[in-house]
Amino acid sequence: MSLLETPPPGSSAQPSKRPDFPETPHKAVRLPGGILGILSSTDHKVLGMLYLGLALIGAVFGGAFAGAIRAQLTSHDLEVLSPEFYNAMVTMHASVMIFVVIIPALAGFGNYLVPIMIGARDMAFPRLNAFSFWLLIPAGGLMAASFFVQGGAAAAGWTAYPPLSLKEYSGGPGVDMWILAVHLAGLSSITGAINFIVTVMNMRAPGMSLMKMPLFVWTWLVNAWLILIGTPVLSGAVTMVLLDRGFGTGFFKPALGGDPVLYQHLFWFYSHPAVYIMVLPAFGLISHALAAFSRKRIFGYTGMVWAVCAIGVLGFLVWGHHMFTAGISPELRLWFSFMTMVIAVPTGVKIWSWLATIWGGTIRFTVSMKFALAFISLFVIGGISGVWLANVPIDLQVHDSYFVVAHFHYVLVGGAVTGLFAGTYFYFPKMSGRFLSEKIGNAVFWLFILGMNLTFLPMHLVGVQGMARRIWQYREEFAAINHLISFGYLGMAASGALFIYSIIDALRKPKTCGNDPWGINDVQKSLVWDIPSPPPPYNFDKIPVLKGTASTGG
Amino acid sequence: MKLNWKAGAISALGVLAAAAAYAGAGGDADSPITNLFNEPVTPIAHTVRSYWIFVALITGVFLILPQIILFWCIAKFKDAPGRKPATFHENIKLEIFWTVIPILVLVVMAVPSYPIIKKIENPPPADMRIEIIGRQFLWEYRYPEFGDVRISDEPLVIPVDKTVVADCTSADVLHAWWVPAFGVKIDTVPGRLTQIWFNVEEQGWYKGQCAELCGSLHSQMYIDVRVVSQEEFEEWIIDRGGTIPAGNSLAQNS
Ligand SMILES: [Cu+2]
Ligand SMILES: [Cu+2]
Ligand SMILES: [Cu+2]
Repeated sequence: MSLLETPPPGSSAQPSKRPDFPETPHKAVRLPGGILGILSSTDHKVLGMLYLGLALIGAVFGGAFAGAIRAQLTSHDLEVLSPEFYNAMVTMHASVMIFVVIIPALAGFGNYLVPIMIGARDMAFPRLNAFSFWLLIPAGGLMAASFFVQGGAAAAGWTAYPPLSLKEYSGGPGVDMWILAVHLAGLSSITGAINFIVTVMNMRAPGMSLMKMPLFVWTWLVNAWLILIGTPVLSGAVTMVLLDRGFGTGFFKPALGGDPVLYQHLFWFYSHPAVYIMVLPAFGLISHALAAFSRKRIFGYTGMVWAVCAIGVLGFLVWGHHMFTAGISPELRLWFSFMTMVIAVPTGVKIWSWLATIWGGTIRFTVSMKFALAFISLFVIGGISGVWLANVPIDLQVHDSYFVVAHFHYVLVGGAVTGLFAGTYFYFPKMSGRFLSEKIGNAVFWLFILGMNLTFLPMHLVGVQGMARRIWQYREEFAAINHLISFGYLGMAASGALFIYSIIDALRKPKTCGNDPWGINDVQKSLVWDIPSPPPPYNFDKIPVLKGTASTGG
Repeated sequence: MKLNWKAGAISALGVLAAAAAYAGAGGDADSPITNLFNEPVTPIAHTVRSYWIFVALITGVFLILPQIILFWCIAKFKDAPGRKPATFHENIKLEIFWTVIPILVLVVMAVPSYPIIKKIENPPPADMRIEIIGRQFLWEYRYPEFGDVRISDEPLVIPVDKTVVADCTSADVLHAWWVPAFGVKIDTVPGRLTQIWFNVEEQGWYKGQCAELCGSLHSQMYIDVRVVSQEEFEEWIIDRGGTIPAGNSLAQNS
């Protein structure tokens, strides 16, 4: 069943009336091929795949850094790494995973899918889109190069709290390079966000009202606003550090009347919403996979949309929960504590709605579906430990301990990365015209899930027992559990290697997928599954006009 | 062993029990893990511990229930020839229910935290005051009321059953003073004074660790606290060249 409908002559929604969209059949269009064609492309699908490729390369490095950390921590008194290099690993693991892996990967899916889902031929500003992507290359390059400068890469944590990140305590150019990398990645995010907002607000096909947009588009719209509001504040904060370091200002230097705690306010004003920036689009991805493989429509679409909006707004009101031990006033602590707990409500709405979505369905356990189901389970664990951390008395105990490390890895690995896996297995046939092997995929899934839980579940325990974060050696009591944790890492590493092999393996096979490779569009009713796999240049011969039914699938 | 099991149960994470047993087996009598669940030794630690258990029980429902429903769906709603998927996709009453109930639960859970925050914020009248200063990479302690005894890079010594109020600051970067058994953690911030208090009920050695990344040897900023009897404490002060002030509340109480 096609969603596309040729509008009756004289209809006001007739696409030919839009000067932007000449009615030329775009099947005839050929994009320049070859490496040069890809490098100079402004096509949203090519850029989307470049983002995803960059994220995959970044994940190899970020994962290797995690491996170095776990090697050092396998037992309590090892000296696999020097303490300075260990701190650099901790800093760069986080920075790479956030700025080069998770955010770009979600931007990759956004670039690829959002224009198709809303019935557009490209993003609103294709050249700006290319600019956003190519900014990430020097950003990653600066981070990589900083390993080879005097003093090595930044080692003040990805949080870069002053005074530790100031010249007196981090002398080499590593921190400066890190700051410039954050500037570039931030600029990439901001320009990308503007592009998404303009695209979604202006380029929806006739008939696609806001409340008919697929949930993934909604999550990206809210996400883009979070990026647009939050990222400039982060850029400002690290710029102040840069000025303090090199230009004699004293924003964060107590001796010059500055205040280190001010930095924390500014940093977390971005970096708490950043958690949602890294997880909201993953919500969108799994929403589509869950509905598709249950053969049902998403449950409570309207509630889901409002929940995403609520999470977006509340996300800006809770940053202080990272600062409960910093000596901020009791009233502020209470406010941030309550607001943080309130976020659990819209998040809960999403969890219950997903469960209601699969309830009564006919579930097909594809690898994509397995990852989507695992997402629910793991994200609930990360959510509940988040509610614990929102409680000031509990947070005062476990703040900056391994409990926090466990918590945010359940959110970011159990949430964002698991969602990315679900999305990759779901949309790979659409993007490439080939299926990823389900057989290898099952091994990827089980190695990932077992490894992930073996790595991060025991961290809750050592955290409660008193093991602090970011430590290079630790008291002997924690050694036994850390053996297990390092062992779990191997499972995740093996899973990652198999996943990359699986992608290369699939790309060597011929394209066999039709428009709707999963056979789901009778229920999903989505534009994505209405066009060929991979979609032709400019996606649609004619701008689709949506019939009255909702197109909330993906 | 039993104590570690408790921590595991509190984490509501069954798999951990095995890990805890494994870890406990490797433990050394001389180096007990002085965590909040094993041995809370201050009024704050007791309060935080019971509040934590209260929160764990409430949130435990919301941790377990979705997992049960999830596994039920996985077991029950498999695709099979002839099975037709349900077609419902909204239910306003249900959606209002799962929005309102959690809000009520959160209020019930959050309200008791307020008096606890107040208790942590507002120390009772101090029996003695000390100063804690973080410094790359050691802790410095000062006893201004006892002839300004100053020690660094050695265990903090305090008397048992006394309310100790500590003013904390840092000489360089951020550090955080954390002794799990006391139920307290506080950042030491250059240019600022932060405050904690504790009244330790049992003599002994308590261990902690700098919790805020403070540079290359962050991991080596261990904290040790020796809690001793009043007499022993006074002897130690005099041994360090300090004085016991006449009419000091410590002396009166002992
Ligand atoms: Cu946060
Ligand atoms: Cu320190
Ligand atoms: Cu430290």
